[in-house]
Amino acid sequence: MVSCVYVESAVRNHPRTEQLLERLHKLPRIEIEHYGEVFNPRSQNFRLQKKNPAIIIAHKNKGQVLAAPEGYGLGGDYNYYFSHMLNCIYDCRYCFLQGMYQSAHQVLFVNYEDFGDQIRQIAALHPGKPVWFYSGYDCDSLANEPMTRFTDYFIPLVAAIDNAWMELRTKSTQVRSMLKMEPVARIVTAFSFSDQFSHSKLENGVPSIAKRIEAMRRLIEAGWPVGLRFDPVVYHRQYQTAFVDLLDQVFAKIDAQKLHSVSLGSFRLTRDHFRKISRLYPEEPLFAQNMHLNNGIISYPLDREQEMIEFCEAQLMKRIPAQSYHPCEWHG
Amino acid sequence: MLIWVCALHCEAKPVIDYYRLKKSHDARAFDVYHGDDMVCIISGIGKVASAAASAWIAASNPGATSIAWINLGVAGAAEHEIGDMFLLNKVVDADSGQRYYPAPVAASSLAGSACLTLGQPSDNYREDTLFDMEASGFMHAALRFSSAELTQSLKIVSDNRRQQTGKNRQRVSELVQQHIDSIDRQVRALFELKREIAALELAPEAWQQLLSMAHFTQTQKNRLRVLWRYLGNRNFSSESLLGQLAAQKSARSIIQTLEQISFRDSEDL
Repeated sequence: MVSCVYVESAVRNHPRTEQLLERLHKLPRIEIEHYGEVFNPRSQNFRLQKKNPAIIIAHKNKGQVLAAPEGYGLGGDYNYYFSHMLNCIYDCRYCFLQGMYQSAHQVLFVNYEDFGDQIRQIAALHPGKPVWFYSGYDCDSLANEPMTRFTDYFIPLVAAIDNAWMELRTKSTQVRSMLKMEPVARIVTAFSFSDQFSHSKLENGVPSIAKRIEAMRRLIEAGWPVGLRFDPVVYHRQYQTAFVDLLDQVFAKIDAQKLHSVSLGSFRLTRDHFRKISRLYPEEPLFAQNMHLNNGIISYPLDREQEMIEFCEAQLMKRIPAQSYHPCEWHG
Repeated sequence: MLIWVCALHCEAKPVIDYYRLKKSHDARAFDVYHGDDMVCIISGIGKVASAAASAWIAASNPGATSIAWINLGVAGAAEHEIGDMFLLNKVVDADSGQRYYPAPVAASSLAGSACLTLGQPSDNYREDTLFDMEASGFMHAALRFSSAELTQSLKIVSDNRRQQTGKNRQRVSELVQQHIDSIDRQVRALFELKREIAALELAPEAWQQLLSMAHFTQTQKNRLRVLWRYLGNRNFSSESLLGQLAAQKSARSIIQTLEQISFRDSEDL
């Protein structure tokens, strides 16, 4: 349940703000000068806030589009990411966003045009070369779609730039607006999945696996490129059986030949995020598992990780064409 | 622990009576009233007094693992009716311009409002905000000790353009008294949040017993704390765990034993 809406004074009369406030008219509204004064203070409890986060309507002043971290992406040479929102409506215990910000409030930036300008400028820096723009790094790209109308702006924008590609990373089923549009071959909607056991234990508020598969199926049917992200694979006693069950469930409905890309990665967090999140949720078994520190990243011991990836890869390769597979490489 | 911070005794009196708080005879700097997991401090008028009282009372209770706060008092407003109560969602210090945002308690049905904290009394009423003389000082100090979710300020309108009752102590007590049920609901909601945080803390006696079993370096203590908190929150009994550790001779073997228990337990997520 959303507790209230904070609105930056400078965007109070922005058309997207007005649209948002119309939808959120029942919530208390509090005017602020800059989103950072609510979002950044240290004296906040993320865990308590996550139960009833607020929505912050704001203007992103700079750095709308940034270079993607190394290893992020699908192997292209030019990778960038952008976030029209900060934080996510879902509450996945493995997610680094829990350790990313002081606050669990959801920031919605309304100055899409500034994001658009940067996307155009960056794409123009690499003429004739594919440039990837990843959305869904600091948020779920589609989860708030009925409010943000993200796709209405960003899909036509990217479609009009010949060398721009975009990935929308999501766990949501909000594909209705995309289904009304003409598909764009350079815009990939990537759905993340964990097995049913991990989903039930760790993905609070996330739509069921079956519903997400159905959303994927409908996008594929409409001609949109769709990706699959089995990331993170989480260790538990039955992870092998559960992963096979997940693949069976997905590929019973999805034609693997029609997938744009598939990736796979085991659970991992930077040391700082791991420490922060495990302090927030000291009772969480995920953080009490046998983990090792490797190059600043906390993950499973190498032998376990190797065993998990090898098993999952082998199962995946029985079902998908090899060329669509992109492993998540983070060991450096 | 829940700490009430009120500028005047007449503002605090309904709370003191309702929760049967007893005056402390040990405190000299401020008038302090104690009850069951609850303290009320009378700060005196002004933001500096409110900050000083808040800091003093928090420092006087170093054992309190999580503190919830309520600043309760009267405020001025342009048009609101005398007796209307508001939960502050924005506090602005008129002198410094510093802004504070106490996080709304979602369960609350109280109306929210901004409040401007002034250094001096004023009858320059503004339409869009309440005004008082304590809230910014209270926020400044209390937010050092607790999170914004546990730090609340309740203000009841005592003065408006048409009528001023803030100097009538009896009347101020009556204004607070008429909201005591709503105030109590707010207290319960805060206690609920506070309990959730407190439940994750280490039980001090068992923790001390564990520490006395070997010499732990600071790094080992940090690791031990993580393991002990995990197992405690997974309903492993401290007694049984301490029993299992009794045969261990070193800090390292104690940690290894607890790790093995944690690893086994966590494999089922």
